[in-house]
This record gives sequence, C-alpha cells and structure tokens, in this order.
Amino acid sequence: MSATREDVGGTPLPPGWAKPAHQPDAFELTTTTFAERAAKTMARPFARGAIANATDHAAALTTARFVGTDHEALREEARKIRAHAIANLPDYLDQWIDQAERKGTIVHYAADESEARRIVAQICTDQQITRVVKSKSMASEEVSLNSALEAVGVDIYETDLGEFVVQAMGDRPGHVIAPILHRTKDEVHELFSAMAGHELPNEAEALTAFAREGLRHAFLTADAGISGGNFLIAETGDVLLVTNEGNGRLTTSLPPIHIALVGIEKVLPRRRDLAVLLPLLTGHGTGQQITTYVSVSAGPRRQGEPDGPEQMHVVLLDAGRSALLGGEFEEALHCIRCGACQNVCPVYRQVGGHAYGWVYGGPIGAVLTPLFRGQEEAGELAQATTLCGACDDVCPVKIPLHDLLLNLRRRSDAEGHVPRHEQVAFALWAQVWSRPLLYRASTAVARGSLRALARNGVVSAKSPLLRRWTAGRDLVVGKRPR
Amino acid sequence: MPDDVGMTAAVQLFPTCIGDVVAQQTATDAERVLDALGIDHHRPSATTCCGQPAYNSGHDGPARAVAKATLKALDDGSDLPILVPSGSCTSMVRLHWRELFHGTPEAEAATRIARRVRELSSYLAEHTDALRELKPSLAVRVGYHDSCHMLRELRIKEAPREVLQTVAGLELVELDSSERCCGFGGTFSGRYPDVSVAMADTKIDDMVAAKIDVLVSSDPGCLMQLAGRMSRQGTPVRAVHLATLMAEALA
Amino acid sequence: MTDRASFLAAIRSTPRGLDPGLPDRREAPDAPTQLRAGEERPDRLQAEAEAASTIVHRVTAVDVGATVASVLVQADAQRIALTTDLAPFADDVQAALVAAGLTVTEYVEVAPDRARAGALDATVTGCIAAVAATGSVVTSAAGAGRAGALIAPTHICVVRDEQIVGGLHELFDGDALAEAGSLFALQSGPSRSADIEKVLILGVHGPGNVHLIIVAPD
Repeated sequence: MSATREDVGGTPLPPGWAKPAHQPDAFELTTTTFAERAAKTMARPFARGAIANATDHAAALTTARFVGTDHEALREEARKIRAHAIANLPDYLDQWIDQAERKGTIVHYAADESEARRIVAQICTDQQITRVVKSKSMASEEVSLNSALEAVGVDIYETDLGEFVVQAMGDRPGHVIAPILHRTKDEVHELFSAMAGHELPNEAEALTAFAREGLRHAFLTADAGISGGNFLIAETGDVLLVTNEGNGRLTTSLPPIHIALVGIEKVLPRRRDLAVLLPLLTGHGTGQQITTYVSVSAGPRRQGEPDGPEQMHVVLLDAGRSALLGGEFEEALHCIRCGACQNVCPVYRQVGGHAYGWVYGGPIGAVLTPLFRGQEEAGELAQATTLCGACDDVCPVKIPLHDLLLNLRRRSDAEGHVPRHEQVAFALWAQVWSRPLLYRASTAVARGSLRALARNGVVSAKSPLLRRWTAGRDLVVGKRPR
Repeated sequence: MPDDVGMTAAVQLFPTCIGDVVAQQTATDAERVLDALGIDHHRPSATTCCGQPAYNSGHDGPARAVAKATLKALDDGSDLPILVPSGSCTSMVRLHWRELFHGTPEAEAATRIARRVRELSSYLAEHTDALRELKPSLAVRVGYHDSCHMLRELRIKEAPREVLQTVAGLELVELDSSERCCGFGGTFSGRYPDVSVAMADTKIDDMVAAKIDVLVSSDPGCLMQLAGRMSRQGTPVRAVHLATLMAEALA
Repeated sequence: MTDRASFLAAIRSTPRGLDPGLPDRREAPDAPTQLRAGEERPDRLQAEAEAASTIVHRVTAVDVGATVASVLVQADAQRIALTTDLAPFADDVQAALVAAGLTVTEYVEVAPDRARAGALDATVTGCIAAVAATGSVVTSAAGAGRAGALIAPTHICVVRDEQIVGGLHELFDGDALAEAGSLFALQSGPSRSADIEKVLILGVHGPGNVHLIIVAPD
C-alpha cells in the first residue's frame, strides 16, 4: 500500500529511531513499590520542580477560566450527563453502534486488553499496514498496543510531540495530557540531536521543527492512522477527538485507514451535551477556552468529499470497565481524562506520574489502577494519598475521588490484601483504645516515653518505633502543659 | 478540672488523641481562651480517639470499636456543644461517624453527637466581639495553614482568620500554599515518610519566603508534621495551634 | 472473538447504577464558551480568535479577494489551494490572487494525492459556522475537507457575519452541522504545543499562520 515513500515532504526519521515499546507485562507495578518508584522521580530535582511548576500553572489557568461563570452549576450538569450515560451504558452503546455502522464505520469489540491488541494487529495484517501514525491515546497505553503492532512488523510514529519523545526514549507518559512534563529541554535536545545525526539548536522551536519534519513524512506515507477518542456521541455515531497540535486530525484524515481505540465509558447521549462537557474538558485540561482542534467524525470519507480515509474502524474497549457498573466504583467511569486531579494533587506534584506504576497517575490513577489491574497488584496506590480532597473539588464531573480511595482501602482490608503487621497493629490498637482505662494508661506511657526521649521538648532520636517519623522530622512534644 | 462539674458547663471539650499524647498544650490553651471568655467548659473523662486513623486506612472494625468508646463518653444526655481543637477529628465525628455506625445500635447516638461537635475556631469566631473586648495583643507576623478536612469537608475557611484578626498587633499574611496539604495524612506520614516530608518542605519554603514568625493552624496533626520538619531543619518559624496563639495573646 | 451481542450482553448483565436523568436544558449553560449578555457576535469572535493567536480581518464582501491576496503575498505562499466552501467568494478570491501574480489550485484536485496536499503553502477555505465565544471556525468534510484547514502552514478562513453562532450550545443545537458530511471540526487559532518545558510553539503539525476574515453584511 505504501507505494512512494520518498520525496513526499518532510524528512524521514532514521531507522531505529524509536525504542521498542514496553510489553504488557513490563509495567513496574508488581516488581516495585510506590515508595521506590516515587524515590526515582524525587531524586531528579528538575523533574520535581518541573512537575510542580507545570501543575500549578495548569491549575491556576483552570481556576481563571471559569471566573464569572456558574462553574458549580456546569459541573453539576456534567456530572448528571455522565452519570446518566454510564447508568444507561448498554443502551447508548447500542445506539452509537447503530449510528456508526449506518455511516460506514466498522465496529470491533475488545472485551479485554489482549483482544484489543489482537484486533488492531489483525486489521494491520489484513490490510497490509506497515506504517502507522498514532495520535495520543491513553487507551492504547492501557493495552500496550504499540508492542503488539511492532510484533507484526508495523512501524509506529507517535505524532503528539510529547508522545514522540516518550516513544523515542522508550519512556512512558508522565501525565494524562502533558506526557513529558517530567523531561527537560536538554534531554529532548540530546535525544533529537542523536536522531538527526548532528547538533540541533537547543531551543524548543527548533526541536519542535525537527520532530515536525520527521512526523510530516510519516503522515504523508502512513498506511493507517490510530487514535483514541475523547467522546462517542450515541445519537450520531460520532467519535470526537481534541488535540492542540493538529496531529489528531491529520492522523484521522490523511492515511487511507483510520482506527480508533475507545473505552466504552466515553459515550455521551447527544451532541448538545458537548456544550457542557467540552468547556470542562478543555478548561480543566489545559485552561484553554477550547482546544485548538476539535474533530468530530462519523464513518469514512463520503462521496464528493475531497479527502479522508477509505475505512474507519472503531475498537470498543471494555477491559475492566463493565465490571465497575452498578457497583461502589461506578463513578470512576465518569472520568473524562482531563488531568485536573493530577494538577492539584499534592502527592502527584512531588512524585509525578511514573510513581503510580501504570498508565494513569494522580488521584484518578490511584483509583483506576487498582480497579483495572487488581487489588493485589495495585491496591497499595489507594494508600498513597493524604485524602486531602483537592481532587474532589476540581473534578469537572465531580467524581468523589476521596470516597473512592477510601472505599478501595476498605476493599483491601475486606479482601485480605493488607499486610499482616498492619492488621495486627490495628487490632491491638483497637483492643487498647476502645477501653478508656487502657487508653489513659497507654497515653500516659506514650507521653512518659516521649518526654524521656525528648531534649528541650523535642524528640529527634531515631528510636526504632518512631523511625519512620523521625527519619526526616522531629517530634515536638513540648514541655508539660503549664 | 475535676470530671464532675460537667453539669454547670456551657461546652464540652474533646482533646483528641494527638492532644492526649503529643499536643497536650492545645486543649489546655483552648480552656484558657474559654476561661477568658467566661465560658464554662468540661472535659469528659473517658474519651479516647475518634477512630480516624483506622477509618482512613480502611479498617472500619477497629475504627468503630475505638470510636464507640469516645461516643459513649461524649453522649452524656446533654445537648452542649462539643468543641474539638482539630478540624480533622471534627470532620470525622460530624461527617463520617454516621456512616461508620450505620446499622449499629450506636447509630442514633452517632447522629446526636455529630450534631453537637464544633470545630474550635468556628465556635470562637462567634465570640469575636467578646474576644476584642479582652484586648488580645501580640506583635507577630502570622501565616495560616488551612487543614484539608476542615477546609474541604467542613468548609471552614474564614472563621480561624476572623479569630486571629481580633489580636492587636497581629499581621495575618495569606500564604500562596495555604490550602495545599502539608503531607501529614495520618498514616500516610508513616507509610511514605519521604514523600510526606517533601510535601511539608514545599509549605515551609513558602512560609520562609513570606517571612512569617508563626504558622497557625487548627489541626494538631498538621502542626505535628510542620513543626516536626521545621524543628529538624532549624527553620525559624514557630508552628502553633490557634488556641495556643490566642491564649498567648490573651495572657 | 467477541461480537456485538456478547459484548453488549456482558455489559447488560451488570447491575444498573443510579440514574439522575438526562438534564433537559432549554437555555445555554453558563459556561465560558457562551456569549454573554450584550455582546455582539463578530466582536466576541474577533476577541476570542485574537486571544488564540488568530489574525482577524473585518471587511465587507468586496474586499475579501484583496485581503486574501495581501495575506498570501505577505506569507510568500506559492502553492495555494481553495476549497469549495469558499463560495460565494471563490471567484473574487481567484481573480485577486491571479492579479497578484499567484497561481491557485482547487483543493479537491490536490487532496487525493497526499504528497501534493502536503506540499501546499496555504489553503483558503470557507466554513459552515464560526463560534463567537470560542473564537472557532467550524469546517466540514463536505466543504473544506478533513485536512483542508490544517495541511498547509497558512490557513485563511472566510466567514460571513450570518454564519456566526454565539456559543457551543447554539452550534450543537442549531442546524449548521446538518450537511457537514463525515466530519466537522472546530479550529481555534494556530496549531500549538507546550510539551517542551511549557514553551508555547505555534505551528506544530497544523498551520502556524492563521487568518480569519469576517465579512460584514452588506
């Protein structure tokens, strides 16, 4: 299918420019702890500073964007739309499929991650697709799509600038909408200069231009474009995609085949619901009035249209989503992946996205990862928050993240995933502190011990019992009250 | 104060477990402020802990067992306000006990107590005129830390500031990060000490930049965290409970 | 292989969650993406478009051709394509460009060959609507094509005053989208990225030079 691949514009990237994509089993969830992963980011002072700066900046823009409007009413309406869509998910999916097929979209059904990989790989094999341009998709990260396509001989080009860097480095995105939040310009400069074979100017503009030239060539020669989808509109069979760079629309317009991989929870009933959800998605995502490119497509190119793909495939992805329906975690499916909860999370701000060990970071990651990957593998993430509630206050669709996190902690306890020592500790604690006399005795002992350890009202000795506290902090106990 | 004078008290005071173990001064100072205002107070003798450490770790059984002891101690048949010098513990009793005791014989009592508990500063904020008449005075530059549960669950933001502003000579500075979590997070501080300390540091950097003398908050947990870190680092900022600052200003 | 029936059956077999009902809104929601009371549509469109780094020209019908020509001369555009939705201004634009010594092609002719489309310096399109409160132009697959508005480094869009809707609510509730074809798209200013250390770069994969010509009613 790729007839001429020379002289089409842009500059082909050198062979082997991209590091192999991570395999489905290459996530670090099972082999490392949150603390270990967090330590890696915290050891890089730039990354920490950059994450804090970028998230503070985004959070401030979001706040500013809604000044003078009834933000709360808008969020409440969005919550209702999402809750209604999810409560009626099978009906709306059914409607969406009817409409999409009527417009010529070929719909596929992936019950789990491996089926999604298999379906897309099969389309590539059947259609002799050897080169793919890809617009940023978190769903494809979830299923580790790139490695599956590499395995069947497909060259993949991530076309979002940040994702391109991620792919070239063999890294993983650090933020839902800002994938290389944790990377410096110097790192990108070094990477791109090596790809170019000569020293590029160390400026964002020149570095962007380099990526653009390479990706331009890919856009003009790719056999297929693969995207995610921000929303599916049931009444019209639409797939909606937002990007700022324009790569989303080029991905879905230039190659002869468009394949979209979309989670089933992305359904909205009607186009008019976008008047509520779009300003929230973009306002909470980047703080923009609207994302630069909002593209809404249904089906392949029609008669008389000047351009567009000959085939449009949509792969509907379940992969753990339907299991949440009707249960105490259903509201996690309301998420529209704006990233706002990451931007306000005081923990994310310190540790970045990779600490969460899988695809999603921050509060929503701490909720979704245990739900999608299992409590045993990822239950710890729900403990890695202070339950400060900042995420609840910023979520554009009012997901009660604090409650979901707390429920996950309860479920860990109920299902026996809590370490033995913790269970014993709390059981003992309850034995003593549920009895006022024992409580008084224990607090008197504790006070006495602390005062014995204290010098001038401060305990700083690294006593074994207090080790986890006193490693970085003193315990200021003060003098006996006056 | 002996236990049996509760009959004449106007308010009860629940010192909380951190108050009993680490921050004893807080309840004592709260009593001094109440004394100055002429408000009779009483500490029920048998309170323990509100159960939050276990509740927020997902262990409802142990949480209920411990909270039940405190519930029994507080449920004295009166309808006196129960003042709690901790936003977080107030939030636990006021908002989460109902769920914790749902379907248990204590459900009704839990609702009763939930209605009675008051976060200390929000109670004092109703007495700012009386406080002003007492001419509290202290020449300090103060920053206030909004503790998470008090701010986002109880939605109390202005009350502590109104109380602080009754103090002559006190300059209240709004910190950029006043609403950001200090990193304590109960058991989080022990599970992830490095992350927890790093979170405290960003707050402390902000306090140093704002050149405050004293950081005031209404949560002994946050204060334990911030004071502990500042003590270790030798940061020249005092971290004290609002009750302590007010007691000093009234002394 | 999971098919439609088994896929949906698995979802249907789950318990049903709480349904607050679909809000039945009559009025536009109070969002930043709505026109505010007392605002004129072309004024808000201009303000929002400029805030998104679009260069706005407000002209009457007779000046459309000359405005397009002057932008393209300034941009030093050699390979220029017009899309079919530029009508009723297509002839005027064509004439003005020829007068300025520029050669013009039809996008419909170039588009089937990606390499040719990709080599364009500029496209000039119409639109099916513009959204005042977001500073967006709305193009359609049937008119400007899917890529017509963003394949070249310079994009000029011509919008007639009566095509401007106030906000997103009006766009989605109105009938402007009815004949869009397989795709409609909102574009609001130049392509942009701030992925590298938050430095804003215009013109990443789409155009960096974006012009909006608002044509006043006669």
